[in-house]
Amino acid sequence: MSQLKHEMILASAGSGKTYALTNRFVQLLAGGAAPERIVALTFTRKAAGEFFDEILKKLARAAASEDAAYKLAHDVHAPALKAADFLRLLRTVVEAMPRLSLGTLDGFFARVVRSFPFELGLTGEFQIMEEAAARRERRRVLRRMFAAAGEPDAAQREFIEAFKRATFGVDEKRLARLLDEFLDAHGHTFLAAPEASRWGQAGLIWPDGCPGLAAAGRRVPAAAELHAALPWEALNEKQGARFQEFFATLPEWSPGAPLPGPVKYLVGNSLKIWDQLNSGAEGVELMIERKKVTLGSRARTALVDLVAGIAGAELGRSLERTRGLFAVLRGYEVNYHEAVRRAGRLTFADVLRLLLPGTDGQVPVLSSGVGGDARLLIDWRLDATFDHWLLDEFQDTSYAQWSVLKNLIDEAVQDPEGRRSVFYVGDVKQAIFAWRGGDPRLFREIFDRYNAAAPGTIHEGRLDASYRSGPAVIAMVNRVFGDAAALAVSVPPAAAAAWAREWRAHVSAKPELGGWAELRHADDEAGRFAETLKILQETQALARGLEVAVLVRSNQTAAALAEFLRREGSIAAVAESDLHVAMDNPLTAALLALLRAAAHPGDTLAQEHVNMTPLGACLYEAGIRSGDALTEHVLGQIHEHGFAGTIEVWLRTLGPAIDGDAFSAERGRLLVGAAAEFDESGSRDVADFLEFAERFTVRDTEAAGVVRVMTIHKAKGLGFDLVILPDLEGATLAAAREGLAVQYAADRSVEWVLAKPMKLFVEHDPVLAAHLAASEADAAYESLCLLYVALTRAKRAMYVITGHVGAKSTSRNFPWLLREVLGEVWHEGEARWFDALELTAAESSREERSRAAANESPLAQGGVDERTVQRAVRRPARTPSALKTGAVNGAALFALVRGGSAVEFGSAVHAMLAEIEWWDLTSGGEGAKKTMATLEASGEAGAEAAGCLRAAALAGVWGRPRGAAGAAVWRERAFEVVLEGAWVTGVFDRVIVECDAEARPVRATVFDFKTDRVEPDDDLATSAQRHSGQLAVYRRVVAMLTGISPERVTCEVVFTRVRRRVEVGF
Amino acid sequence: MDFPDPKTPITRHFLSWERPLLAQAVEWLAAGWGGEAPLDLANRLVVVPTRQAGRRLREALAEHASRRGQAVFPPRVVTPDALLTPGLATGAAARIESLLAWVDVVQEVDLADCRDVFPVDPPERNAAWALALGAEFGRLQVALGEGGLRMADVVGRVGAECPETERWRQLGALERRYDEKLAGMGRCDEKAVRIAAAGDPILPAGVEEIVVLGTPDPLPLALRALAAHAGKGVRVDVVVYAPAEESENFDGWGRPVVARWERRLITLRCFEQRVRVCANPAAQAEYLVTAARSYARAEGVLGVGVADTEVLPLAERALARAGIVAFNPEGKARARDGLHALMVALAECAAVPSFEAGAAVLRCPDVLAWLRARATGRFSAAELLQEIDALRAKHLPPTLAAAGLHAGSFPMASVGLAALGELRAVLTTGTFPDNAASASAMIFAARRIDPGAALAESAVAWTDTLREVGRALAGWGGPELTLAERWAVALGAFAAEVRTAERPAGALDLLGWLELLWEDAPHLVVAGVNDGNVPEATVGDVFLPEALRVSLGLNTNAERFARDAYLLTALAAWRHGDTGRMDVLLGKTSNAGDPLRPSRLLLRCAEAELPQRVEQLFRKVEGSHPNLPWARAWPIRPRVVASPKKISVTALRDWLACPLRFYLRHGLRMARVDPAKDELDAGDFGTLVHAALQELGKSEAMRDCVEADRIREFLMERFERVACLRYGTELTLPIVVQLESARQRLRATAEVEARERADGWRTVEVEWKFSFPLGGLTISGTIDRIDRHADGRVRVLDYKTGDTAVEPDEAHGRAVRPEDDGRPEWMRWADAEGKIRVWKDLQLPMYRRAVAAAWGDAVACGYFNLPKAASGTAVMMWAGFSRELQASAERCAEGVATAVVTGEFWPPREILGREADWDEFAELFHQGVAASVAREGSV
Ligand code: SF4
Repeated sequence: MSQLKHEMILASAGSGKTYALTNRFVQLLAGGAAPERIVALTFTRKAAGEFFDEILKKLARAAASEDAAYKLAHDVHAPALKAADFLRLLRTVVEAMPRLSLGTLDGFFARVVRSFPFELGLTGEFQIMEEAAARRERRRVLRRMFAAAGEPDAAQREFIEAFKRATFGVDEKRLARLLDEFLDAHGHTFLAAPEASRWGQAGLIWPDGCPGLAAAGRRVPAAAELHAALPWEALNEKQGARFQEFFATLPEWSPGAPLPGPVKYLVGNSLKIWDQLNSGAEGVELMIERKKVTLGSRARTALVDLVAGIAGAELGRSLERTRGLFAVLRGYEVNYHEAVRRAGRLTFADVLRLLLPGTDGQVPVLSSGVGGDARLLIDWRLDATFDHWLLDEFQDTSYAQWSVLKNLIDEAVQDPEGRRSVFYVGDVKQAIFAWRGGDPRLFREIFDRYNAAAPGTIHEGRLDASYRSGPAVIAMVNRVFGDAAALAVSVPPAAAAAWAREWRAHVSAKPELGGWAELRHADDEAGRFAETLKILQETQALARGLEVAVLVRSNQTAAALAEFLRREGSIAAVAESDLHVAMDNPLTAALLALLRAAAHPGDTLAQEHVNMTPLGACLYEAGIRSGDALTEHVLGQIHEHGFAGTIEVWLRTLGPAIDGDAFSAERGRLLVGAAAEFDESGSRDVADFLEFAERFTVRDTEAAGVVRVMTIHKAKGLGFDLVILPDLEGATLAAAREGLAVQYAADRSVEWVLAKPMKLFVEHDPVLAAHLAASEADAAYESLCLLYVALTRAKRAMYVITGHVGAKSTSRNFPWLLREVLGEVWHEGEARWFDALELTAAESSREERSRAAANESPLAQGGVDERTVQRAVRRPARTPSALKTGAVNGAALFALVRGGSAVEFGSAVHAMLAEIEWWDLTSGGEGAKKTMATLEASGEAGAEAAGCLRAAALAGVWGRPRGAAGAAVWRERAFEVVLEGAWVTGVFDRVIVECDAEARPVRATVFDFKTDRVEPDDDLATSAQRHSGQLAVYRRVVAMLTGISPERVTCEVVFTRVRRRVEVGF
Repeated sequence: MDFPDPKTPITRHFLSWERPLLAQAVEWLAAGWGGEAPLDLANRLVVVPTRQAGRRLREALAEHASRRGQAVFPPRVVTPDALLTPGLATGAAARIESLLAWVDVVQEVDLADCRDVFPVDPPERNAAWALALGAEFGRLQVALGEGGLRMADVVGRVGAECPETERWRQLGALERRYDEKLAGMGRCDEKAVRIAAAGDPILPAGVEEIVVLGTPDPLPLALRALAAHAGKGVRVDVVVYAPAEESENFDGWGRPVVARWERRLITLRCFEQRVRVCANPAAQAEYLVTAARSYARAEGVLGVGVADTEVLPLAERALARAGIVAFNPEGKARARDGLHALMVALAECAAVPSFEAGAAVLRCPDVLAWLRARATGRFSAAELLQEIDALRAKHLPPTLAAAGLHAGSFPMASVGLAALGELRAVLTTGTFPDNAASASAMIFAARRIDPGAALAESAVAWTDTLREVGRALAGWGGPELTLAERWAVALGAFAAEVRTAERPAGALDLLGWLELLWEDAPHLVVAGVNDGNVPEATVGDVFLPEALRVSLGLNTNAERFARDAYLLTALAAWRHGDTGRMDVLLGKTSNAGDPLRPSRLLLRCAEAELPQRVEQLFRKVEGSHPNLPWARAWPIRPRVVASPKKISVTALRDWLACPLRFYLRHGLRMARVDPAKDELDAGDFGTLVHAALQELGKSEAMRDCVEADRIREFLMERFERVACLRYGTELTLPIVVQLESARQRLRATAEVEARERADGWRTVEVEWKFSFPLGGLTISGTIDRIDRHADGRVRVLDYKTGDTAVEPDEAHGRAVRPEDDGRPEWMRWADAEGKIRVWKDLQLPMYRRAVAAAWGDAVACGYFNLPKAASGTAVMMWAGFSRELQASAERCAEGVATAVVTGEFWPPREILGREADWDEFAELFHQGVAASVAREGSV
């Protein structure tokens, strides 16, 4: 085997990344690495699963055939390996299955945290929350924060103040909603920089000072000065009016609010000549109403002061707002942390944050200087030792994730004996998850860092041949992305340069695919939809058994387009977006309305909604004909059976209404599934459930034989024969994200945060302009990645449909870019690429497939032969004591009897009486005395038992029967018997069996002890009769056990409280 | 684990794999019975692995005896765990007592003394922290206890390979303190008692022999007890379900020997047909249904094992849907009991007097039943809940007390609130758990409950828990727990309990993996055979990593592997050919989409077969559900009701926006209740601000005041009064902010109002109500204010409190849209530049018409805007309003009125995209509004 290198692989789309990864894994195995010492991490659970399956199948194939073995042996640089060797490796991996560290980064981090909770300030076990649960928690926390009554306390006052500052001085009515939006937008920024000192601090943002800020205070005098210094007489009427309006509206403006039109006009025009204005040159000319106004130096200075002052006031307001925002976020976070995280409910992001170096609970194992004891500890607690690291989709790794892994990986890289290794693979051209923290620059940085320390440490590999796409598609990709100069026209130069740095021309490793790639045009969205349909019909792609995808930008478009294709073209199309299955169809919407109407009877919308559907008739049929009936019945069902059970009942009721409608039936099942998930929380709150259900989404399962419509993001990692891109319109590619400006240092720590001021001022502030430029370049780079992902999904054919780019268009969007690089029209390959592919009638083949699947089911041929096989015995079970009748009082049921429950008392008395074999009232022997003493010392129950022994009325219960030749007594004797087809299980309290001289049983008496509270004057006969069902069974069983006839078995109830016995008649 | 030498040797017996275990077990026990007398086995103690196994054994014994017309005196059938319970009664701490002892320990110990256990200080050492930690330590004790160990024993057992000896030393020290705490309560640790009992176990009266029957995995501590019994000369037989030639593969206790089973091949016949990879738990559940359906009567023929807990509930539901009754002998957690939900609500209500918590209690059916029973007058649950929501929507009370202030106008709600008051009084006086029990007794006082009912059984379990908590608290010396914490302890214990129901006759049993050995149905389908479930495996642990488990002699993954390899072998052994069959199902992914792996046991084949098996078990599986095309279950059919005779001016706008929605809102009177409302909505906000402004308009004293300061003071004072009347003095945070916002707007208004007055305007009418007939309808409305200028001009104004200022003409009209084609011509008008506009509101023109009689037709109209930006506060008149416009508006109003009268509520407006989020009727419409509604016989 060749020397094990650390490797970085830059793998272009379709170039066999998984192939390389699995080969690496096999190579490590072949080199003798134990599988459990290899950590392979990727981003999605699905990818992790596929990765593992691939490894095993690869080994299995090599184990089964010498040809495959020969090829794999060469691929993994171990040419000597034979099929038998791969079989051995396969066995090793299979055996190690539970110990493998092969999964997602999130999962890996969670595993570490799970093993070190106390080190991380947790209290032990914790729970990972999914999105829905996290949202519920947020609502709970906000509610708690809000729920203070009376005068707000200091913390709340502070919160309100902060909130006011954060909402830029103009108040906002809907606090709760706004706060929710805030948290969505800024929560993660707060967590990345939880220090006040980073937020809205002018000193950090403008270390060299910000001239505008200083001028903010001079705004008013400057305005007066400008008014005085303006050459009024030189202005024409319109210009004069402009200035008048300006001075009139200026006082109306307060920082943070939008600039009134007249102010904006003048400030804008001044900023256009800002450098001149500042240069001190005489006779600067300001453009007003299409004519120049020459400003004297006094007016010029005043104007500069005024505009700078306005800008400064705006910046000041932004700083203020940023600080307010921080305080709001902190106010929330403190509460959230207290109520949620500390209680052991974490999101994956929380888990990661716990492990970050430098945060409170330093994990000894992951912080600086791993090695020695700490290293031993991590191996010990995780039951694992990690020697080899395989990291997939590395461009999506965030800096934070890397920081956590870094020490562990450092150790592998620096292993003096070179027995350990690192391998990371990905494609910086597919970095479309930057918004989620993915940091494509890491790729190179890590490489450079290790290689700077020791050149050649990491080996760089490149995979540029596509095993997915045919030559036509690849031609398009090369054409669009290969021309750096053309790209630089459409995106900021920094973005184009970053792209060009890692770009290599692609080649198709599948020339036989031929294919077609084309840029088409359509006027508007409707046109692009229609064009999409046209292509599908023209190519008859589904009928040819091809995999087809239409890639769009948003879930909404996906849903709309899929619907369009089904409606207009009768094409089997599926939107692979998150489907709101509880809301997107009449059936489940009506079921939710039913729950709402029951829990909130004032909701006439829900009520009428139910009435408009077959559910209304179902209710009527079921006798639920009033609001009260509805409320009581449905709330009762929810209470008893949970939401899943309740919905299930109503679905069944509705069955006939949706008979034959497989779609609705499926939706119903999905709603039940959602409800079951909600029921896990234990909550029976209808409002909470409705909110949960409305947000509940599922992804349609992957299916063949349909057109899959999905977002480009979701298509990453997938390949299709035919891909159509009809949704590339949109704004400029370099649009920086809205919201906060966050400046990061080289180590990705947050340097400063600022709520963005008006764009007008951002552009004229060097610091902010630089920040803006950088974020626009990042945005543009991500846009290129998105287009790259989109264009590299196709195997055979690729159709791009955009609007015509107008001659005057200045929007640097995708259509612009494509026109720049491809020209007005472009195509390559064989236009009728599909003709060669046979029509297979997709529909029938789909049916065949499902029929084949059904046939594959072993049960299609039936199970075992029901008539001949030995059927296992199952009998209905009965316990005689359950045959008791009569209801008990609710209050009694919940009473906490002092000294124990009635049940405990009862069994104590029973246990003591069971000790008594025979007892003679008259006997005064030592044994008897002792027994009595013990009983009397045993509390209430003992006293009761003793009383029973002393009672003259009960003498016959305890004494030997007179007149019988012999007698046996059964005490607390269990029995099992089959009676009338049922299996009966019970325990006799006491049975006396009398025998004749030959010791044959001749008669028997069954005594059943009742310890319940009965008062002496109660009608004992009636009470006793309540047990007749039970005693009748006893009688039969005794008869069976003794072989005497039932008539000779007497049954008596013994009431221990009142010391009375009553014979029960049948 | 070391065992004492038995005095009498423990004898192993072997059964054949040709037949099911159960039948052979019965025969073995009944050996020598002639059938002339009852089958008397009462002198034996039989150890079986699970309760369900015991149940099956007793049933089979009864069956066996009944063949001779006899009955059985059964043996004592116990699980290994129950071997240790006799003699436990006295002194052993209950689980809650143990928990509290731990709470006490961790709260008082100096954490600095145990830095290996607590490397960092917790952020707060409160009761919640202590309770969670106590539970964690309790779990650890249980895990150690199974192997007969306590925390303090660990250090002595492990060698230098454990890097955490100091941590264990400290845990041992903590445990000593815990023991002391328990001793202080007159108790000792239950696990310790069991460990002691295992060394010197007591045999139940009447028992002379012990049989360990078909129990491949007894916990080590139970073996110690068995050894001790044997040591005292008690006969112990071990019956192994395996043929005698397998004897080397089992140890003296009948446990599979790890070294033997680790490498052994497992024979599964017809592997390719009988082992099936399913996409997910739902697909497995469906397969089980198919299996059950393939029999006319599945009971006794088909046995179902479910090794994956995710499959179980799905299987139960899928079977139920198919009309097949399933029974899960493991039962369900009490957390699912209806009673638990009620108690959670009561706990919350006891802890905080919030309105929300109270309302949650009122929504519990048992509470509604209670209210009905105690009502003296008429009672309606629906009305009660409706009023509770209405009260909330109107007054947003944070507390029950605050809600009480408004109860007057909500008679049915006040019944509920009064009852809640009484309930809370009970809940919060006296001590827990007595107050909790009293409150429950109060709620159920009037009910007669069948003792067999689920509620009764739940109630017994709950009161038992309460008693246990009560006893534990009484003896406890630790720091006082709050009421909420006491409730939390009790509810936690209750939720963790399991409710086992009676097996319904004819039910299909859904058994856990470990139950299957005793299942004797000839056709067995086992679902969830994925690695981690079968064999069970643990990886990584806070305290007990695998390496440590090995050195401590606790159950290890290797032992579990051996056990499960044996189980699978034994299950499959007789189920083939004519006697039976076994199917194995495994999932490709979990419910959440996590990939699952097949059980390693399925790969324990000959090496030559391995590649083929891997191909089969790891192949790609397509989703089981086809992607069905969207289909409409039904169109909705709105009821037909008479058109309204009188509508407000704002309703005209609704019709213009969408005739269908107009019908829903004004014809069917459909309105939404927002149960989560926690702040003022736009309407509430406007009402408040309006109210203060009306007062100003009405005030004679203020009539001619032009000083902004005085106007402001007046407005503020009135505003406070109005706000207080509606929202009281206890305010939630959002309301504080919103009221502040309203004040800010009123302050800005004062300035504008003063200017307007200085300009010569005086308000002459406020809240001027009107109505007039139009096109067969009566149109009604209320004008916010009518002003007259010193120079005689008159204007009508409407206050607008939206976020941003609105212009009257913008608010009344919109551009023509494609869908306006075909809609009536009278909806349109031409603006000053001749551009065609469509009416969307008729408010101001209708106001003008209403005042025309009294003030003439030259009245101006406009808005008094009070937007959030103070600078936008201003009177904004409708510039360029003309007689033509008025005429057009009236034509339009008439058109609408006629349409309403004649029942013209079509076509609806299709709202798409983001805008649809604001459609309050969105839930009614799917894939198009018009397409969603069936018109015949309705609208
Ligand atoms: S079982 Fe459930 S559905 Fe049936 S009546 Fe009772 S509550 Fe209603």
